[in-house]
Amino acid sequence: MVDAAAPAPKANMGDPVPRYDARAKVTGSALYASDVALPDVAYAFLLSSAIAKGRIKSFDLREARALPGVLDILTHENIGEAIRKVKFFTEGGPASNSILPLGSAEIAYGGQTIAVVLANTYEVARDAAHRVKVDYEVDRPTATFESPGAVDQELATQNKKHDDPKVGDFAAAYATAPVKIDVAYSTPAQHHNPIELFATQCGWNGSQLTVHEPSQNVYGLKNGLATQLGIEPSQVRVVSPFIGGAFGSKGALTQRTALVAIAARKLGRPVKLVPTREQGFTVATYRAETKHRIKLGATRDGKLQALSHDGFEVTSRPDPYAVAGTDASTRMYACPNITSNVTIVRADRSTPGFMRAPAETPYFFALESAMDELAVALAMDPVELRRLNDTMKEPIKSLPYTSRTLMPCFDQASEAFGWSKRNPQPGSMRDGDWLIGWGCATSAYPTQMAPATARVSLFPDGTARVEAASHEIGNGIYTVAGQTAAERLGVPVGKVQVLMGDTDLPPAPVSGGSISTASVCSAVAQACDAIRAKLGDNGTGAVPTVDLVATLKERGLGSVQEYAEWMPHGAAKGGMQMLYKGAAQPIGGAKLPDRIQFAFGAQFVEVRVHARTREIRVPRIVGAFASGRIMNTRTAHSQYMGGMIWGIGSALHEKTEIDANAARYVNTNLADYLVPVNADVVDVQVIMVPEEDTLVNPLGIKGIGEIGIVGTSAAIANAIYHATGQRLRDLPLRIDSLVEAA
Amino acid sequence: MPKDRDDTRPDSVSRRRFLGATASTAALPLMGAAAASQASAQALPPPDPQAPLDMRLTVNGEAYRLGLDVRTTLLDAMRDHIGLTGSKKGCDHGQCGACTVLVDGRRTLACLTLAVAVQDRAVTTIEGLARADGPLHPMQQAFVDHDAFQCGYCTPGQIMSAIGCVKEGHADTDDAIREYMSGNICRCAAYPNIVAAVRQAKTQMEG
Repeated sequence: MVDAAAPAPKANMGDPVPRYDARAKVTGSALYASDVALPDVAYAFLLSSAIAKGRIKSFDLREARALPGVLDILTHENIGEAIRKVKFFTEGGPASNSILPLGSAEIAYGGQTIAVVLANTYEVARDAAHRVKVDYEVDRPTATFESPGAVDQELATQNKKHDDPKVGDFAAAYATAPVKIDVAYSTPAQHHNPIELFATQCGWNGSQLTVHEPSQNVYGLKNGLATQLGIEPSQVRVVSPFIGGAFGSKGALTQRTALVAIAARKLGRPVKLVPTREQGFTVATYRAETKHRIKLGATRDGKLQALSHDGFEVTSRPDPYAVAGTDASTRMYACPNITSNVTIVRADRSTPGFMRAPAETPYFFALESAMDELAVALAMDPVELRRLNDTMKEPIKSLPYTSRTLMPCFDQASEAFGWSKRNPQPGSMRDGDWLIGWGCATSAYPTQMAPATARVSLFPDGTARVEAASHEIGNGIYTVAGQTAAERLGVPVGKVQVLMGDTDLPPAPVSGGSISTASVCSAVAQACDAIRAKLGDNGTGAVPTVDLVATLKERGLGSVQEYAEWMPHGAAKGGMQMLYKGAAQPIGGAKLPDRIQFAFGAQFVEVRVHARTREIRVPRIVGAFASGRIMNTRTAHSQYMGGMIWGIGSALHEKTEIDANAARYVNTNLADYLVPVNADVVDVQVIMVPEEDTLVNPLGIKGIGEIGIVGTSAAIANAIYHATGQRLRDLPLRIDSLVEAA
Repeated sequence: MPKDRDDTRPDSVSRRRFLGATASTAALPLMGAAAASQASAQALPPPDPQAPLDMRLTVNGEAYRLGLDVRTTLLDAMRDHIGLTGSKKGCDHGQCGACTVLVDGRRTLACLTLAVAVQDRAVTTIEGLARADGPLHPMQQAFVDHDAFQCGYCTPGQIMSAIGCVKEGHADTDDAIREYMSGNICRCAAYPNIVAAVRQAKTQMEG
């Protein structure tokens, strides 16, 4: 059966094995954090700050406390123990922001947690929370760019690790370039909005704490929480076998976990918190709004001579968070003269955080829109402009790409799309009342990895077990880790048990930065190879040269178990110890001294813009990607496709509206924060382009979770230009954008 | 038109086993918590609006008797008090569809339905579609075949909604499936695979 969801593997691709957890997920038996039944559980409901800046003068808890069933209300006045500070994650810590949970009367952002109401039932906890009266002293908050009180700072002055990429003499080259553009773009604040809410359940058994919380970094949560509570990491166990969507929102230690743990200890019974959808907008992080200015200078035949990319990103008062996508955007094309700068803009907002392709999503909207504008200025096909400036060495330090299959991606996607039939003249293609536009863009994502461990066991009954505390966020990590062990041990994939998402297992790094498959499968393969060596197989290929199970039985062994510690190229000494602390940093991409490693792709989009209403639809999108070894064409197809649809959402739908006066989010629900629904998505074609790159790691895996969203929004904007002649530079692209631009 | 709930499963559920797995472990402790709430109410002068209300629910063919706060939603009653956690809470506002169940065969948002309002009506959840080790419902199997999910959190709601979609006669074309499945958000964006799954299961459900 030909099935788009399970493409036939091409060279260097694994079989489309169905998901390891498929049955659990379609029967409702997969237990997510809030599904776990803890005995005699009490319910917590958060109270969130109604103001963005100021301080709490007083609480009146009387009416709330009088409600039958209310057990306690925690505030900064009565929490009774200070939660110890842990570092913010750009300082190497696990925390999503630097503000101590219930640490003081000060309010640093709208929605900040100011009290936790505890009750016997959820209904009473929620009712009581609405009866708490808070008297605030309100200061005028700063909402966003250009709001009164916004403070601009060059990122390099705030984060010593940041270095603005530069090479050559941009100013001179730009001044003399025969063809040039100078354009500004912006992208809005966006929230991950995984469908699973940010639940936390905590229960104590004596001095041992068990936490059920969806996490992309269980070891980080365990260690950070232990520090906050002043207990040993060995006293904390984090359990998170299934994560109901994350996209970056569940990677850091948020304020809620310590509060629930303290509440459970005070009450002497487990406590369950399921924050509301609205609270999720400030319980976790978000993608901050950005602005860009890009200048490109080229020769008349299209060779880039000068490139400048200035980025501006909103962050909070306490934390210098920035995604700094100039690291990638300055390295995509051959160009002798480049300059860049990143400026952070401090406002009274919660600290932003990682959201799917954090840096590349906004920065490639700018870069790839600008490349299209340059192509128009040159009267050149945009694919040919990329081809002319393609390079196997990044231009900043002349480091070689380990592999770069960009133009084959363009060629395969453009052929599947039918690009050769495009009339380049804007507004030239029409179907009745619909203006048709075709656009394209480059996708790219840094290939990163982190130290990882795994324990693998082989048993005489022909079964095997893989144990690693990685995180099933929908990426298919159970499945591909099981496939890796099955192949290398020569057992059927159905005979491999995979255990993950539990700090009682050997550590795996944060499931972010598209690092999980490359890191965890490398550790699994290393452990399997140790088992093979122990059983007399000295082959180094993917498949064993001896029957390992038969050998194990012959030797009368009960099992063979091996534990492996795998370190990626360029990892810092001590990285393995950091992994055990939940703080191993991903390494790779443009951060290596000797080479650069990226995955590449190309996306082609058809838009239809209604001639009268200006409604914008995306009836089809084709993406071709080359990301090294593909472990499983089924799970890979879904990840690429999901990323591309995220790109459609990022271009057309998603924007968190910010009240300019109150500095609070306005559309904090799934009816007003628009995400793509089924009717928004019609034809999505994913092409996996074979690529071999055993430099990145022995298995040759690059990581695919994020690349699908990169460049999509630019391809859509470029297609809208082609349909209408209107160049839209501010996301999201909506009917009103076209009306205003007209 | 809606048919009775037995049409939604390939074979009947073992009620004894079902009771053993859930009701005895989850519903009974709840009564303890409710009783505690009542006891503290007696210590205070105003009448207790939270006094637990005796109610009957029928879920997946099993009858449950519960004492619940009258404000308890069907979703919370099932998840927190019966122990059926397959139906998910994604928004609690009827905006995401993760809590979709069938009530008398019609798709219904359990988060917008008070438990007390569906007494004596037949509620079918994802747990009611297939026995623990038995064959999957055609819609469940189609979701597996077409990889119609990634994280899996919206999946129970998608599957229940998809069964409703087919039964309503809204699955005749891909466009109809897309439109009538748009009340169920999949943030992983498995939409094209969901459409393919509904198309496959429709043939089997009607064949």
